[in-house]
Amino acid sequence: MSETLLRTEGLARHFRVGKLLSPQTLHAVDDVNLSIDRGEIVALVGESGSGKSTIARLLARVYKPTQGEIYFEGKPLSRIRGRRQRLAYSSDVPMVFQDPYASTNPAYRISHGIQRALHLHRRDLGRKGRAAETDRVLDAVGLVPARAAARKFPYELSGGQRQRVGFAQALAFRPKLIIADEPVSMLDVSIRIGILNLMSELREREGVSFLYITHDVASARYIADRVLVMYAGHLVEEGPTEAVLQRPKHPYTQLLLSAVPDPRAELGVADKTDVGEPPKVVDPGEGCRFRARCPYAIARCETETPLLRLLGQRHRAACHVAAADADLTAEPQLAALTDS
Amino acid sequence: MRFVVRRLGFFVLTLWAAVTLNFLIPRLMPGNAAIAMMSRYKGHIQPQALHAIEVAFGVNTHESLVHAYFTYLGNIARLRFGISLTFFPDQVTHQVLQALPWTLALVGITTILAFVLGTFIGLISGWRRGGMLDGTLPPLFVITSAFPYFWIGLLAIWLFSIKLGWLPESGGYDVQTNVAWSWSFVSDALTHAVLPAFTILITAIGGWILTMRNNMISVLAEDYVRMARAKGLSSWRIMWTYAGRNAILPNLAGFAMSLGFVVSGAILVEYVFNYPGVGWMFLQSVENQDYALMQALFLLLTVAVLVAILAADGATAVLDPRTRDRS
Amino acid sequence: MTAVTAAEPAATPGPEPPLGAARRGYGADLWNAVLRNRKALVGLLMLLFFVVLATFPGQIAPYNPQATDFLPGLGPSRAHWFGTTAYGQDVLSQVIWATRQSLLIAFAVGGLATVLAVLVGVSAAYLGGIADGTLSLLTDVLLVIPIFPLIIVIAAYEKNSGLGMLVIVLGALGWSYGARQLRSQTLSLRTRDFLESARVRGERRIYVIVCEILPTMTSLIVATFLGAALYAVLAAAGLQFIGLGDPNSQSWGTMLYWAENNEALGAGMVLWAIMPGICVAALGAAFALLNYAFDEISNPALRMRRLDRPIDGARGDAVPAVPPAPDRILEVRGLTVAYATDGDPVIAVDNVDFDVARGEFLGIVGESGCGKSTLLYAITRLLGPPFAGEIMSGHILFQGRDLVSLDERQLRHLRWREFSVVMQSAMNALNPVLSIEAQMRDACKAHSNMTDKEIAARSREVLQLVSIDPIHLHSYPHQLSGGMRQRAMIAMALLFTPDLIIMDEPTSALDVVAQRSLMVQIKELQQRLGFAVVFVTHDMSLVGHFSDRVLVMYAAQVAELGRTRPLFAQPRHPYTRALMEAFPSIHGPNARLTGIPGSPPDLARPPAGCRFAPRCPQAMARCHEGVPPLHDVEGDLVRCVLYDKGAVPEPTLVQAS
Repeated sequence: MSETLLRTEGLARHFRVGKLLSPQTLHAVDDVNLSIDRGEIVALVGESGSGKSTIARLLARVYKPTQGEIYFEGKPLSRIRGRRQRLAYSSDVPMVFQDPYASTNPAYRISHGIQRALHLHRRDLGRKGRAAETDRVLDAVGLVPARAAARKFPYELSGGQRQRVGFAQALAFRPKLIIADEPVSMLDVSIRIGILNLMSELREREGVSFLYITHDVASARYIADRVLVMYAGHLVEEGPTEAVLQRPKHPYTQLLLSAVPDPRAELGVADKTDVGEPPKVVDPGEGCRFRARCPYAIARCETETPLLRLLGQRHRAACHVAAADADLTAEPQLAALTDS
Repeated sequence: MRFVVRRLGFFVLTLWAAVTLNFLIPRLMPGNAAIAMMSRYKGHIQPQALHAIEVAFGVNTHESLVHAYFTYLGNIARLRFGISLTFFPDQVTHQVLQALPWTLALVGITTILAFVLGTFIGLISGWRRGGMLDGTLPPLFVITSAFPYFWIGLLAIWLFSIKLGWLPESGGYDVQTNVAWSWSFVSDALTHAVLPAFTILITAIGGWILTMRNNMISVLAEDYVRMARAKGLSSWRIMWTYAGRNAILPNLAGFAMSLGFVVSGAILVEYVFNYPGVGWMFLQSVENQDYALMQALFLLLTVAVLVAILAADGATAVLDPRTRDRS
Repeated sequence: MTAVTAAEPAATPGPEPPLGAARRGYGADLWNAVLRNRKALVGLLMLLFFVVLATFPGQIAPYNPQATDFLPGLGPSRAHWFGTTAYGQDVLSQVIWATRQSLLIAFAVGGLATVLAVLVGVSAAYLGGIADGTLSLLTDVLLVIPIFPLIIVIAAYEKNSGLGMLVIVLGALGWSYGARQLRSQTLSLRTRDFLESARVRGERRIYVIVCEILPTMTSLIVATFLGAALYAVLAAAGLQFIGLGDPNSQSWGTMLYWAENNEALGAGMVLWAIMPGICVAALGAAFALLNYAFDEISNPALRMRRLDRPIDGARGDAVPAVPPAPDRILEVRGLTVAYATDGDPVIAVDNVDFDVARGEFLGIVGESGCGKSTLLYAITRLLGPPFAGEIMSGHILFQGRDLVSLDERQLRHLRWREFSVVMQSAMNALNPVLSIEAQMRDACKAHSNMTDKEIAARSREVLQLVSIDPIHLHSYPHQLSGGMRQRAMIAMALLFTPDLIIMDEPTSALDVVAQRSLMVQIKELQQRLGFAVVFVTHDMSLVGHFSDRVLVMYAAQVAELGRTRPLFAQPRHPYTRALMEAFPSIHGPNARLTGIPGSPPDLARPPAGCRFAPRCPQAMARCHEGVPPLHDVEGDLVRCVLYDKGAVPEPTLVQAS
């Protein structure tokens, strides 16, 4: 039976924007409830500005939540006190960043980040222990020979290799959950799969969970057990990967899936297009944030923010209109929605 | 509008900082230069005027610092700077107003000229990268921009006045001519202004050329310049509207920042040439320990720089729509 | 033409690696770059000269500088190179002894101001919020208050103040410029992932600032120091010259003060007044040269390189014998483009041939660094800074005219009317200071006699074509969203409904949904208006739906060129096949993929033979022997020995084809 490693309750993060005299609040993340099990890879999918990177930074404690709570192994993060507890959490939940060209300090050899991580989090290791551990993690991410790799400067490595360094740094913590924020989006297509495979392997071998944050639905499908879809700061759909991809409930998920380029599929220009754009969520009122672009919007969408509802096996969507799978309820109204 | 309000706010704040520095420095400095000065005033001016000076410099006063500060601010706001020692018993304000036109004419015009000319040369030099102009001027001006203004002035006097005798070596006009709007006076004043103007121009222009050239080169690598080429626009249009207009924006900001440097150079130039402007008077006041005059002149210099910066801000706002929107 | 001509006379002699390419660390790198820059070297030598003078004045100076042993006012002679002062002192000895104080002031003030600038600038940017607001306001205020007069005011109350006072005042007032620059540099670093990574790791703030931020800003910190030192030399000399400062101290400024007071210039003691000034100027110039050189080193755009064989070489070639086919709008023949680097030129486009038919949509696909963008800019004759590539050989026949042989003026008549360009990032490609309308008007005025009214009408029309409300004509680029900017740029490309539009990843900065709708729109417009499209992208799946043919580039060469549908259904080149298999799909079974091992080759050192061979699962000995030619397989082209007619065919592939 799977065991919950991390979960959030009503997580929200707002940023103050605007001027001194007319302050406004940007709702980057609102009321997000998510959970990640031990050894699970969860993909968080959304467009830029949807709040997915904010979630990553909330979980990594770069930002403090405006509202809500994060529970790690059952304990609320707001109770963390003192440097020691903070360090303990950051070694349990490290982060891998998007831009491999910016995620390593150009002034240092690539062993620097790993060594610092070991220095901060595993004080029991001596100099030799640290060197051995550096070799081990570099080896684990496929940078071989590790000894030679450790002595290189970032500019001597390719983008893919640098991203592996990012994972090696994360591994040095002996983590339980790695937050990977768009780790492949800036890499060339031919090396992306290698990094995705690396994540699966690390899950298998080291038992690490992953929160894989991406805008690329296809890569999410490739490695994730579950998918969470974000739109304009809200979690609009979540469920097992195949269920979400094959039977998307939320109209936004459907739009997103229909936009994924797939060279193998036939397509005519007559295909419907959507020239709308995700809203900037500044001082939002009640209501579904997708309603302006939604072809199925009804009056209720204007006034009431939809909450996640169970619509299939472990499959939820936040939509007033979407209907449940036939095996859950007896109302098969969904045909009209899912045919795209 | 917000932009204007914010810049004016900055203007006031900086002015306030300068005024306050003026108030604090005599109180913070060790020694009793101010007391020495006061004793020279005693018996020569009315007690009320003396008291104002005492407040300004924190001498012989039992008033609290705060009270003194506000009295001082009040005097400044009414432009009451007291009586000049150097030009006793003339009012400081009157003396300053006499010197101001000379400096405005000399330093003001040459500074603007240096900026305009330097920016233009830099623009051409960056545009024709690797050409004749670009090969000679920038390296030359890297070096001249490091020359001390006053030394260039000394050299110019030595060469053009003493050796060649072409131009007068000091002063703003020949003391024998009548100060009036006559042709003889104006031409005499212009003759006297040639060497100092040349000195300021030659030392100030280098910085503008260099920064403009480098800005131009960075801007030429931008996509919008490539796009302008792709559109088949004329070189002239690309150079001015696409490259030049964008390259001049950082130069305007730089203008604001290095103006203080130009002003300090100009003070020394006026000193070297005994030019009857604000800078020369400023150093005279320092020499004569005429602190009332010195304070007023320092504030005047600050205001002058601030006004120039506001003008540069205005130009930036006209040229760059982003500035108008941002704030 | 001459070999590698450097633009500036004082530019780098000999080969020079770009910053960050040396084998050793960051500091060593900077040092190498300094030594290779002629301006920096001259500055360094001048500085060294003064340091030697300042260190051993007793050994170098011929006389005691203060001794009034000689006749006053002597001219230059063998005994007194620079003559004597009005007090009978040797000028040369005085100049040498004075070096010490000037250097001391320069270094002390430079150091103090740099420390303050770093403290204020970096912490303001890193801490942000109120701390940043306060500190930057302080910096800005100090920056505009005229410092030199302020120093004079301070010095006026404390005449004859000592060296220490001078240093403290100059240092305490001279940091603002550097602080401002360091702040903006730190701000740009602040969101860099490696700092976030350090924070997430749990590093303390002070560690992040000192050990993570500062080392990456070495060159800016050095520049701050040099700028402050230059300012200190000039300010100190100025103050001493007007008599503020100890009149008995030994410094160049004080010497000038005494020379001026004794009217040295008029009284024939010219060198007394000139030599100290020359020294101030030379020391200042040393700092200025170093500062300028550092600017050049940290901003590579300021350096310039050229190839030894530019376009003229290609002009002499005869246009190919085959007359241009009327249905082809563009024919590229044997196009080769090279970049000048510090070492050998890098061939970024290697002998590329392809055609585009009227109304055709050709996709050009390749990974980063494969030369696809260079190819595009070569075709449009837009190579130039920052990509200093040059066409080495080949022809670009556009509607029968060879673009390679046209000069800029002739090209201008074709541009935008006959072919237009859409760039990758509209944010950068639109002029930020002109409204959309003004940029459209510029294009119209350059190529037609349209009246303002007609231009406005046409601009509105093309905006409507790409579903933008014409109200945005008056908007500036920064006021539009990313998707709208991109559409506006496409609208601009349509102004004259050209026959060919060349697009460089116009959708890659957009989200999938926006990307999709823009692609559909482009395709729709193309079908409606009938122009041909050359569409460059790194995303193979993007062109799958929209292009008629696909050209796959790998390491500067054409790997495969074929009709889209068959190519996607049955890729022939092992690279194309591997690429297709590197894409996870949202349809079909979720099979495990392997990707392509290794990474694309460095174009400065391409592998001999087939360039894909080192990563190819089907590579054999033959692959390394020479670059395989393009084989015609059923009308499509493949560069792979597997399709070599003379060779023994691979059994599996015979079946496949």
